[in-house]
Order: sequence, then C-alpha cells, then structure tokens
Amino acid sequence: MTDRERLENRVIGRASATERDPNSADRFAFWIRPGEKVNPFDIVAAEHFDGSWTYGLVTNIRHVTDAANHLANFISNDFGESVDEPNTPRQGTNVAEVTVLDNDQDIFMPVQSEARVYFADEHGVHVALGIDTMKEKEERTGMKIRVPAGIIRMSNGTEVVAYLDVEYVLGPEAAHVNVSGISGLATKTSYVMFLIQSILQTVGDSSIATILLNVKYDDLLHIHEPGTLSEEERRMYERMGLRPDPFPEDRVHYLLPWGKHTQVTSRPNVFIPEGEPIPPHKVYAYDLRSTVDKLDLLFSHVPDPWDTLSALIGEITNGIQNNEPKWRHIRTWGDLLSQEPLVKQGVPQKVGNVAASSVGRFLRILRRVVETRQSGIFVPNLSTQMTTITRELSYIRGGHVYVVDIARLTDEEQTLVFGDILRTIYGLYSGELLLEDEEAELPEKAIIFVDELNKYAPARGEASRSPILEQVLDISERGRSFGIVLFSAQQFLSAVHPRVTGNAATKVLGRTDSVELSDSAYRFLDPDIKMHLTRLEKGELILSHPIYRQPVKIHFPRPPFRQGRARA
Amino acid sequence: MPNPFQPLQQTLRTLVENAVILPATGQAMEDQAIPDLEEVYDQRTGGAGQVQSIFEAPNRRLYRKVEPIPRSKQHVFRYFLDGSVRTYFIGTVIEHDRSSPVQIAQVGAAAVRREDNGRLRIAKVRRKLLLLLDKSNLSDMLWNSLERTVSLTTGLELVDTSKNDGYLEAIRVEEHRSRGAHKANWKMREVEIALACELSRTAEEWLVLDGGLGNEYVDWEGQPLIGVAKSFRRDVQFHLGTGPRAQTLTLYALLASLEVGHRTCVFPRWPGESREGKVVFWYVRIRPQRGLDYPLMGVVKVEMPNPSQKPVDSELVDWISGALVAERAVTPYGKDSRWHAHLYPIYIAETVIKSHFYSPQVLKAAIRWPERRE
Repeated sequence: MTDRERLENRVIGRASATERDPNSADRFAFWIRPGEKVNPFDIVAAEHFDGSWTYGLVTNIRHVTDAANHLANFISNDFGESVDEPNTPRQGTNVAEVTVLDNDQDIFMPVQSEARVYFADEHGVHVALGIDTMKEKEERTGMKIRVPAGIIRMSNGTEVVAYLDVEYVLGPEAAHVNVSGISGLATKTSYVMFLIQSILQTVGDSSIATILLNVKYDDLLHIHEPGTLSEEERRMYERMGLRPDPFPEDRVHYLLPWGKHTQVTSRPNVFIPEGEPIPPHKVYAYDLRSTVDKLDLLFSHVPDPWDTLSALIGEITNGIQNNEPKWRHIRTWGDLLSQEPLVKQGVPQKVGNVAASSVGRFLRILRRVVETRQSGIFVPNLSTQMTTITRELSYIRGGHVYVVDIARLTDEEQTLVFGDILRTIYGLYSGELLLEDEEAELPEKAIIFVDELNKYAPARGEASRSPILEQVLDISERGRSFGIVLFSAQQFLSAVHPRVTGNAATKVLGRTDSVELSDSAYRFLDPDIKMHLTRLEKGELILSHPIYRQPVKIHFPRPPFRQGRARA
Repeated sequence: MPNPFQPLQQTLRTLVENAVILPATGQAMEDQAIPDLEEVYDQRTGGAGQVQSIFEAPNRRLYRKVEPIPRSKQHVFRYFLDGSVRTYFIGTVIEHDRSSPVQIAQVGAAAVRREDNGRLRIAKVRRKLLLLLDKSNLSDMLWNSLERTVSLTTGLELVDTSKNDGYLEAIRVEEHRSRGAHKANWKMREVEIALACELSRTAEEWLVLDGGLGNEYVDWEGQPLIGVAKSFRRDVQFHLGTGPRAQTLTLYALLASLEVGHRTCVFPRWPGESREGKVVFWYVRIRPQRGLDYPLMGVVKVEMPNPSQKPVDSELVDWISGALVAERAVTPYGKDSRWHAHLYPIYIAETVIKSHFYSPQVLKAAIRWPERRE
C-alpha cells in the first residue's frame, strides 16, 4: 500500500458546503464515509489552503436523505403498509457539524467544499485545543506548565491527554475550577481529587497547600490509604504520566469536629463507624472567645434587611475583642446568652442602638445554633484536646493537605467552618494574620476545595447577600492575586452566584438535566454540546478551559485512594 | 475556481469576429423542449395506435397478477440509466439578412449499479457541451471557422440544428430555438444509447432505461434491457378477441381496471408493419390507485427489444413485471411530480448526471460574449 493509499484510507469524509448550509470561518460540515463512525466531541482535521490543516470539534451529526418530507417515506413504504426492506434503500448520508478550533497556519478562510477530512492525531488535537502553545511555553520558560486533566477518547480509538495550563488554573492568568453535575455519579469530588493530585504531582508538590472540606460521609477521610484501581484506570494514570498513589500519609492532616459525645468516647463527630480506626487527626471546636470575630457567619442564613443583627454583632465583637468593661465577664456561649449586657433577669436588653426586641431575636437564633441544635462543636471553653481551624491553618505548609470534616455539622456550623477557613487563609495571604512558625514560609498557592458551593454562595434568596457570600466572592475575585484558588463543586451551576462561577476560569460539567441546561448559566456552551450533557456517563466530563477554543469531553480515572463508606 | 467555460470563449470570439451578435437579454436563458417529449415521441414512433394482437404465449388473459420479486429473493435489475440535458439561449448571430439562435447545452447520461446490499454506485457517466447553431442560416466561411475552433476545444461539439434527427423528424419542430432544444435532447439520447452499449454486464444483470425504446433499440443484440416509461402515448386503442367476446378498449379503460401488482398482456409495437413485435410493450401497475388522482398514475409502460419477433414467453414477462413491482419502494415523492411511476434508482441516475452539470447560476455567470476587437 502506498503512502497516498494509506492516507486516503484514513479519510473519514469530505467537507460539504451547500447553498443553504454554507461553511464559514467558524463552522463547517462534512459527510461521513459509509462504515466510519464519528461521534460528538471527536476532533477532526480538514485539508486546507497551502497545505494547512483546519481542526474542528464535531458538535452534532445529522442523517440526511433525499426524502422531501416524512410523507415521502410513508408513501415509499406502500403508504405505510410495507415494512420490508426496500429494493433500493433511500439515498442518505450522515453529515457531521463541526465547530472550527484552529488552523495550524492561521488561515481562517472557510473549509472548502470537498476538502478531505480525517480524525485528528495526538499532535492535531493538541494544536486544535492550543495545548501545543503550553509546550512551547514550557520550553521557553523552563517551567512546568501542563497539568494532565484527563484523556480525550475519539471514535477511532485515538487517546490524547488533555492538559490544562497551570497559569490558568492557579494563576496568575486566571484561576479557580468549578465542577457541576447531578449527584449520585461519584464524579465531581473524584474529579477534583484527581485534578489536585495531578497538579501536585506535576507542578508543585512542595509549593501548594491544599485544604479539603469533607462534606459527605467519610469520603475524604482516607486519602492517605491506597484504594483499588482497575487495570484500565492504572493504564490511564500511566498514559498521563501520573503515579496512582494516595496522598503521602505524613503530609495529610485531618481536622475533625468535636462532638457531643467526644468527651466520653474519645471519637470525633465523624461518619466513620465505631470499631473502625480513625486516622491520626486533631479535633477542632469553637468557644466564644475564638469565634467572636466570626459570629456574623452563624447568621449567614438569617435575613437582615435593616442590618440590625449585623449592628448587634458588631457591638458584641468589639466589646469582647476590646475587652470592654461591660463585656469582660462574658467568657462562654452561656454567658453571652444569659447575662448582661444582652440579658437581664431573663429579659433581653437594648444594646447601643439595637432595640431589645432585636436583641431577643438575636438570642433566640444564637441559642438554637450554639446550644439546642448544635452538633457539639460549640464548647464553653477549649480544652487541650481541642484546637481551632485558625490555629491549625496558621501552620500551613506547601505540599501538605488539610482535610476539614464538616459532614455531620448543621448548616450553620458548616458555614461557620467554611467561612473560618476562608477568612484564615485570606488573612494569612493578605498579611492580616501571621504564620505561627516565624521561620516557615507561606506556600505559593493554597487550593481550597468545597462541595455544595451553592450553600455558601447561592445565586438567589436571602443568603445571596450574606457574610459567607462576601467571603466567597472575595476569594473568587481577589484570591487569584494572593495565590488562593477555589476548587468548588455543586449539582447545579445555576444555583451558584454568577460572580463566583464567572470567575472560575476552568469549568467542568458532568451529567446535567435538560431543565437545568435551559438556564442562562450554560450559555457559554454551544447548543448542540449542551444536549450531550444530559447523557454523559460516569467517568465522563465536559471540560471548558480558557486555552481551549471549545469544551472537550474527557475521561478520567478514579482517585487512587480509599474513598470511604459512601463508595463501599 | 477558474471559469469552467473559458475554453468556449475562443469559439464565441470566432462568432463575434465574423458576424453581428445580439446577446440574450441579461444572461443565458434556459430553453426547454416541450415537457411531454417522451409521450409525443412514443406516439410518433410507435406506429399505428390500433393494437389487435396479444404478443405473448401461453397467456391470453388481459390482466395477470404477478408476484413481487424483491432484491433479497432475486436481484434482477442491476443497472439503471438516465440522461439529462440543459439548454441555454445565449444570443443571436446575424449575417446580412440571415440569423440563427446561438445555444449552449450540457448533455449527459449516467448509469448506476445496484450492489447486493441495495446500495447504489456510479457505474458510468458521460457528458458533453454542445454549441448549437442553424447552419443553413450561416455562411460556409463562418461555419468552417467555428468547426476549426471547436475542434481545438476538448469536450465541445458543434451541432447543426437545421439537420433533422429522431425527435425533429417525429415531432416536426420548425421554430429555431425550439429545434435547438430538441436537438440537444436528441444528443442526450445518443449519449444514453452509447452509454448503454458501453456498460459491461452479464446476461443476468438487467439494465433499466428511463423512457421508451423508440426506434433506436429495434435490433438490440446486447445484454438484456427494458425501457420503463413514465409518460406514454394515450391514443392507443386495443381491439382484442374475436366473435362475441371481442372487445375494444381505450388505454384509459385498459389501465383503469389494472390492479396493483398486476400487468397487462404483452402487445407488439408497429402493428401491421413488417417490424411488428421487434419491440414489445405492456403495462404494470406498481402503485395502488388508492391515494392517486388518476387511473394512469402509478402505472409504468415497459418496453423490451424482441428481435426474433416471436411471441414473448409469459413467464419471462411475469418475472420482469414482478421485479418491477418490487421496485416501488422507495419513491422520490415530493421531489418529482412523476414520483408515482418513477423508479427510485432511475431518479438517482438522473440526480447523478444533473450533479455533474454546472448549475444554471454558474453557466449564466460564466458565459459572456467577448468584446469585438475594432
């Protein structure tokens, strides 16, 4: 077989431009050779002027016949009475619609009709997506830029590693990663964990600190223990040049919440069943003195249209922090709820300009949160067995992973912990707080991962203007410049504040239902691609990255650590 | 893309340099032969319209039910052939008191082959470009100059519209431009016949031609073929039987009682002539009348060469008719007004040849009269 014949054998079709459906600089169509299989998200290469190649992403495939209408097909079958195979099947072809990604010589004239079309090879896919420029940047700067983010699988069996540009994931060009998709497919958290490992293994195992919030069962409470991977998953790790190892045990720090029974059982309030060992950990709790500057976070879900509550919280915070005489004797939550200056003989008192009725409201809510419905993390005083999030994060080190478990906490408690983390990290990186160890250096980057972001940064509702949202927005909009990166996930992109998702340069989408897709949050997607989101399988995601001209479909392996009871 | 009609420019220049040209208003204008040319040609070449004999044996019945023979059972028809023509008037050439229309025609034919799985592929395509002028109204000098320049251009043929041919003789067209259009149609028929001869096929691989066989297949000795006509003469009368059972039927009466999946008996062409029965014909209803407007719709006329002039074997006719009935699916409904009698592979052959033509837009834009050099 000659080279020419070999090349022609690889032709999967030819470009087709018609009167009604012309090709343009952005899109072209090609008919698919009989016997060839092409699917949406395949990347194809079309011959173009001056020997150049135009690369494109298949967004849809239509079957076209010469039947003028459906009636023609009905009549063709003996007016609907014949179901036998016709003597001559109707002429038809499959036509792929392609969105142009790039031309390797920057020729953006429309692909000409009859141009031969092939599946792109690995080099072609990298050119098409702009990944080749990352390699050039690596060679130019001598820095590691490319982060494996999954594998693109095409219909002809070609597998290509999809890389992210770390400067668009961790800054300085852009930052933040957001993952959406319906729950139950074990995809979102798995992907974020895979990506974090990929980042740590490729661009910085000593310069990046990671803080993970465990929100479900014990999902992330065994990340130092090896998990079971299939041969295929191991092969995928190898293909991407990654090691399928769990996080190193000596670099993982578990921060688990104090519970109501911890005093008796010595077990923190976690989802690990009794009898099963709990990994080495520290237990965190909140007493009044260490929480007073975060009181506002406990009221994030409470409507406060006239800022009455925030005024009162300001009074309390200032009073206690400045050790003002009338607040000096307030040491515990109980003191605050039952003693002056807020309460006198069981009756709420006016404080500053805040009316007694508003103080009463404050007390009712606070009592519910820190006494009657609390999980146990609110304690009168911190014992030596307890620590605080702020304190632990003040020892933050590059290459280390901090897992903060909030799975069994109430909504208010979860908000407090997440807000505490954000404030502490923001304080450290903005210089308001100092590291405990004067000798130590702050890691270059800090990645914070939180699931169910919609709880903290909702798109609408009362909490859409709350202290926690302000905190998340601060990180989203200004964190990049400090080196703080937010990796977040939620079921519905539409449920998250648009300023938060808008600032996430890399968006990852899992299976999503069609009602959700009708929201304007998804308008960055081509309409054809949107519909594919409804039928993604487990382990498949759509990846949108600033370097890529269009989102691509990727496959990824499960993370190589034990994924806890939820996965058992 | 370069101008595909550039080679024609030299010939047009010859006309411009040697005569006065009145260009067509605007650009080239399409000329068409009368729409039912097929029907008229059938009428004029089919001999007397009084048929008195049944030309098959042993069947003597007027109608016969046939069993459809789908491809999966026996693949009878392998090749399908059709031609097409597009004629354009581009101006008038004037020499003193004589004038002739100047017409350009794209003519061609395509044959498709059907594979075992039913898919069609192009077997052969032939096409040519014609320059049509009335030689009787031009000087020899101009004509000779044209012949010289045309001979230098590959794929271009100079055609004299004053000469009669099969269509012009049969239809007796006088008007000059109309003669040009009919001439181009005849040229298309010539291409079709040439293509039918060129196809390399076995005795088991039947060819289906679009339309009647006319006079051109009288002595056909090649591999088997039939002509399937959608339009056919309607003035035929059938005087069948003798004695008290004798009956006379018009074509309408004959076909009104023809049920779907049935054929008529076989009749000879040119009844009463020495060549009677050299081509035989019969009708097959491939679609039920239900859903159709008119009794003649859904019926095809089948013509078959019969050089021996002996009555045709009824079983052979049943077999051919059965295979034709099985061709009724699928149809070009919505694409062709004659869909009810159109065989889909023929429609595809027509589509193939038309797709090989330059579009009217290209032709109109590309053909321009050169400036006369002073």
